[in-house]
Formats: sequence, C-alpha cells, structure tokens
Amino acid sequence: MAKRYYAGCDIGSTTGKVVVMDDEGIVASTIIPREVDPEETARKALYDVMASIDGISDLKDFVYLIGTGYGRAEIPFAHENISEISCHAMGAFYCNSAVKTIVDIGGQDIKGIAVDDDGSVLEFAMNDKCAAGTGRFYEAMSRIFNTDLESFSDLSLQAKKMVPVTAQCSVFAETEVISLLARKTSPSDVAAGIQNAVGKRCFTLLKRVGVRDKVTVTGGCAKNRGLIKELNRILKTEIISLSEDPQLMGALGAAIFARRKGSV
Amino acid sequence: MASLRFSVIDYYILTKHRIINWLNIVKMVLRHGPYDIIRELRRYPWILEFLKVNHLMTRLTRGRSGPYRKAVAAVITDVTRGVIELLEGIFHHSDMLVIHEDMVPPEILRAMGLYPWMPELLGILLPMLEPGAMEQYIDCAENEGVPPDICSLPKATMGLSLMDVIPRGLAIVTSNLPCDGGMSSYILMEQRMGLPTFRLDVPFHFKEDRAADYFARELRSMIEWLEARTPGTMDWQKLREICDERNRMVEREQELWEMIRIRPAPMAAEAVYMSHLWSFNVFPGTASGTRLFERISELAMENLEKGAQVVPDEKYRALLWNPPTLHTIDLFNWAEKEYGVSCIMDSMSFNRLPVIDTSTEESMLKGLARTIMEGPMARHTRGPAENYFDDMYYISKTFNIDMIWVAGHVGCKNTQALSGMLREKCREWGMPLLIIDYDLSDPRIEPREGIFSQVAHFMENIMKAEKLT
Repeated sequence: MAKRYYAGCDIGSTTGKVVVMDDEGIVASTIIPREVDPEETARKALYDVMASIDGISDLKDFVYLIGTGYGRAEIPFAHENISEISCHAMGAFYCNSAVKTIVDIGGQDIKGIAVDDDGSVLEFAMNDKCAAGTGRFYEAMSRIFNTDLESFSDLSLQAKKMVPVTAQCSVFAETEVISLLARKTSPSDVAAGIQNAVGKRCFTLLKRVGVRDKVTVTGGCAKNRGLIKELNRILKTEIISLSEDPQLMGALGAAIFARRKGSV
Repeated sequence: MASLRFSVIDYYILTKHRIINWLNIVKMVLRHGPYDIIRELRRYPWILEFLKVNHLMTRLTRGRSGPYRKAVAAVITDVTRGVIELLEGIFHHSDMLVIHEDMVPPEILRAMGLYPWMPELLGILLPMLEPGAMEQYIDCAENEGVPPDICSLPKATMGLSLMDVIPRGLAIVTSNLPCDGGMSSYILMEQRMGLPTFRLDVPFHFKEDRAADYFARELRSMIEWLEARTPGTMDWQKLREICDERNRMVEREQELWEMIRIRPAPMAAEAVYMSHLWSFNVFPGTASGTRLFERISELAMENLEKGAQVVPDEKYRALLWNPPTLHTIDLFNWAEKEYGVSCIMDSMSFNRLPVIDTSTEESMLKGLARTIMEGPMARHTRGPAENYFDDMYYISKTFNIDMIWVAGHVGCKNTQALSGMLREKCREWGMPLLIIDYDLSDPRIEPREGIFSQVAHFMENIMKAEKLT
C-alpha cells in the first residue's frame, strides 16, 4: 500500500516552512526564505521538501495539506487553512506534551499562547501592532552591530553587565543603541540590554495569558540563545527546548491537523 | 419558492423603511424651509451625515430576514425620527434648549418643558453612519492641546465645541461622571459658550439609602437651578406621566429579555442593544419608545411561535461588554454569518433597578437617582470591581452566554484597568473572553478589518469555530 503523506505549510513574513508527515511521524521538513508572493513561497517550499521524499512528485499527492501563517489564505492548493496560533500550540504539544505556555516570536509579531491539556489553545495574546521584539527588530539590531543574528546572540552572552535599552519602539531603540555604541559602551553589554528589553516585552505579553510551567519558545527567534537565557531569568522558570526545530512548530502543527483530517 | 417570497418580503421591509426615513427628512426640510435648512447646515455641517441613515440600515439589515430584519429596520427608523425631533428642538426651540450630559436624566428636562440636547450623542451616532466622521473633531481637540490619551468620545465633543458646531442652549447641566475626560469636556464647553452650568454630584456609595436621598436632593437642586435660569417650570404631573411611560418601556423590554433567554434566540444584536441605547438614554418615558419595545417584543414572539431563530445557524451566544464598536457597528451582522454568533445582551442595556416609584415627588426623584447611580456607566466604571464582575457573571448565567466580548476601548482608563482582573475572573468561571483592542470613535486606531481579524483569531483558536461562509 502506498504511503499517505500529510503536509503543513507555514507562510511567515520572512520564511516559508513545510513539514511532511506520514502515519508514523515526521518525514521531512524545510525552511526557505520568503518570496514576494506567498503562493510562490508555498509552492517552492513544498517542491523543495518533496524532492527529499520518494514516491511523491505532485502537490496532489498529499492526502491533506493545511496552510498556516500570515500568508495562509493565499495558498490555493491547500485543502484548508488554520490559524498559526492553533498550529504553534499543537506543534509544541506534539514535541513535548508538558508544554503549557508558548512564546512565539516570529518575523513580524510576538504571541503568548496558553495551551490546554490536549494541545488546543486556551488563551492567547498578540503584539502585532509594532515590530519591537520581533525577528524584524533583531535584524535591525544586528545591522547596527554589523553582524548576523547568531553572532549577535553570542555577543549578548559575553556581556559583563547589562546596559538597559529603555525605548519601547524599534525605531527609537535603534537610535538609543547607536547612541550607546557611539559613547563606547561595550557592545556585548548593549546586546544584553536588547535581549533584556525583548524579554520584558515577552513577559508582559505572557502575563496576559498567564505563565504556567512548562514554558517554551517557538518561531525563528527561539534559536537566539541570548534571548532564551534572558527569558529564563525574567520568567523565573526554565524555558524547555523542543525535540524539533522550534521554527517549524507552525508547519508541524498544521501537518498534525492535516493528518487528523486526512486519515478520517 | 419560499426563499423567493422571503426575498420579496425582505426587499419590501427595507424599501418601506427607507421611504419612511426619507419622508421624515423631507417633512423636516419642508417644515423648516429650504433657506433656513441651508443656514442650519452651514452652522451644523454634521447634520449632512444623517442623510446616510439608509446606508446604515442597508448595512445592518443585510442578510437578516423576516421579523429580525423588521426589528432592526424599526430601530433605525425610530432613531431617525428621534434625531429629527432633536434637530427640530434645536431649530425651533433654542430658547428652551438645555445642554445635558449623558448622566443627567432627560426625563426631568422634558417634564420642565425644556428641550434636551446631549452633545455626546454626535460622537455616538455619527461614527455609526460614517466611520471617520469624528476624526476632524478629534484632531481639532488634540491640536488645541487636549491630551491625546483621553477617551475619544469627550475629545470629539470638545472638538465639536472648539469648532463651534454644537448648538447653543440656555444652560448646561452635567455631573461628576462618568470619567475625567467627560468632566473636562464640560469645563471646556462651559468656558467656550459662557453658559451657566450646574454639576450634579453623583455619590459614590450608591447602594446606600442615604446616597439615593442625597442624589434626589441634588436633582431637586438642579430643578430649582433650572427654574431660576430658564423659562422651564417643573410639572410634577408631567414627570409622573413620563416616569409611568418609562416603567411601561421597562416592562416591554423585560418581556423581550425573557424571550431572548431562550436558545436559539428569537431576537438579537442591534434590535436588543441599539433600541435600549437610544430609547433609554435619549427618549426615556416617551410613547414612541414604548411602541418600539412593543414592536420588537411582538417580532421576537412571532419568531418564537414559528420556532424561527434570528441567526439561522446560531452556534454561540455572546455578551457584549462596554458600548458597541461604533465605527464597526455591523460587527455582529458579520459575526452572525461568519461564525453563527448571536449578540444576546450587552452591559449598556442591562440594568438591575430600572423601575421608578411614581407615588410621590420624592419617590420619583429617588427612582431617577437610582437609575443614574445604578446605570452601567456609573456602576461599572467607578468601582469596586465587584459591581463589574457580579453583573457580568449574572448576565452570563441568566442569558445562557457562551463567551464575553469586551469592546476594549483604549481610551477608557477605568475599564482598561480592570482587564487583568477580568481575565483572571473569566479563567475562574471557565468563560472564554475576547478583549477587542480598538478606539470607540476613531477608526484610525484599529480599523474594521483589524477588529474582524481579532474576532476571527478568537473564534478560530479559542472557540474552535469553523467559518460558515
């Protein structure tokens, strides 16, 4: 009997992610930079992942395909689309069923999600009105330090002390950081201050949904070790890591929903 | 065949009410004369927005059928008729016009033969007709130095005053409620217009008898003050008639409330909340108000008898907290079709002590005092927080509510301060809660698409709702 494949396709503001599952578990996944057209991003990501799976060559070969992320409504070949909030909750729950609270830090927003015992969403809070603390914010900060995101994260871990960055707005924070660096403040101390500012922002968002153990971080910024360290400190709880790439949680959740729908 | 018949009937309902509205407008123009109307339009340019009333009716009746459509159309037509009555008070009776704040009972002014005009009414009605209608007034107020973070409703009222487009009356009667922004707007109007102003002191411990006695004395002082400064004289028999009529309105409304407790609801949304918002705040104790509630109750009963439901696929019953999203007033029309949501009750309509004892002058004043002190804007926004949560819990249980939608007006510090406690309470009750971040009168803060998106996120992630369209 031919294998049955189910796919979740998460079209975010900076990347496209796809996870493919069969009836046993995860088969393949991919992360690609986004194209201008969300449909094009989805198509590229899906064909990219299909190249690594034998016996599947066409989008129609997926038993069920679910779109998620900000571009989810623009994937015409998906059977349906589901909000990324539900998908992140389900993805993280699949990786660790003890997860009760999620901070999802994506390219253009931050979400706090309270997860129920079955992986569904209990409550959520979003910051989608300003870029502060998002992936875009970190990109802007890295540019000031003339480095990439990974090196920026490493830099913050070398700090001897934390220099507070007080501005709430990305634009003003950029100005503040440039001024601090111009005054010869230690770059690593300033980088630690940036991590602290983002951590506090996540904290206030999480307070709206309630912080319950275990807490995890999803989205691209979950790979920022400096931020995770700061969140550990601010939330006074251990941030648990997931068995799969945290950036894939939206796509993974969508794939799990696809498998549920497709195997009925 | 049946659907064709319903389409024809629905078209007829809409057309009939459109014609009634236009006829009422034309009659007003003819009564006043074209020259004078043009003069008034130049003086009060916002009047032009009221010509969009039929557009509002189309938006609110779209997709709604039969008795539900009739009820919503009846409310809009009643509002139009009432606005015309208020405008005629401005045009023809400026020598008897008194400006009053929304926490001052207009029943007393009418019983004195005075014509009431509530300036906040424009900030409430105009965004329903034209979402961006208040922007110029808000900008004007902010440009003149009014802090941008105060509530946009009094801010817009201040803008109207600063642009000299508010009708001038003989006097102003206002109060120490509902918020600092509201009080500031009357200080500004008092200074701009140079009018004598009376401020009612609404006591804080409103559950105590001595508070009702105190506030009744305040109302009596207001009457004496108005008698000294305006041609109005108190006619206690007229006040009794108004209060009796108000009680009849209450009875009719409570009949409606009894019916909407039934699931699925035989009436919902604007037919329930807009009728109250209008009749009890602007025209309390008038025969037209009672007729409106009688009509809506009859239509709800018609639905009940037929076993019909207003939302064809009612899946969720919502309690709306705070004033409705004015510039996105068709929110529930959208949500009904999108997710099968019925708006059953709202915080502005629900009142625990609505009946007035009309046996003596004193009892009437005490009854009016209690309706103000126990009214939602007083009871919910000044604390203690229990007033807010107790009502919310009681309404949720009484009306079989599935979820609470709070219209989280960013300018309302008093209710924003309760958001955290409210989240905790709803967790305790197991009640799904949506706090919609938006601004009451200014759609630039959060446009309708943003409001719909917040609702969609909530419905899909928390209520696990599937789209019906």
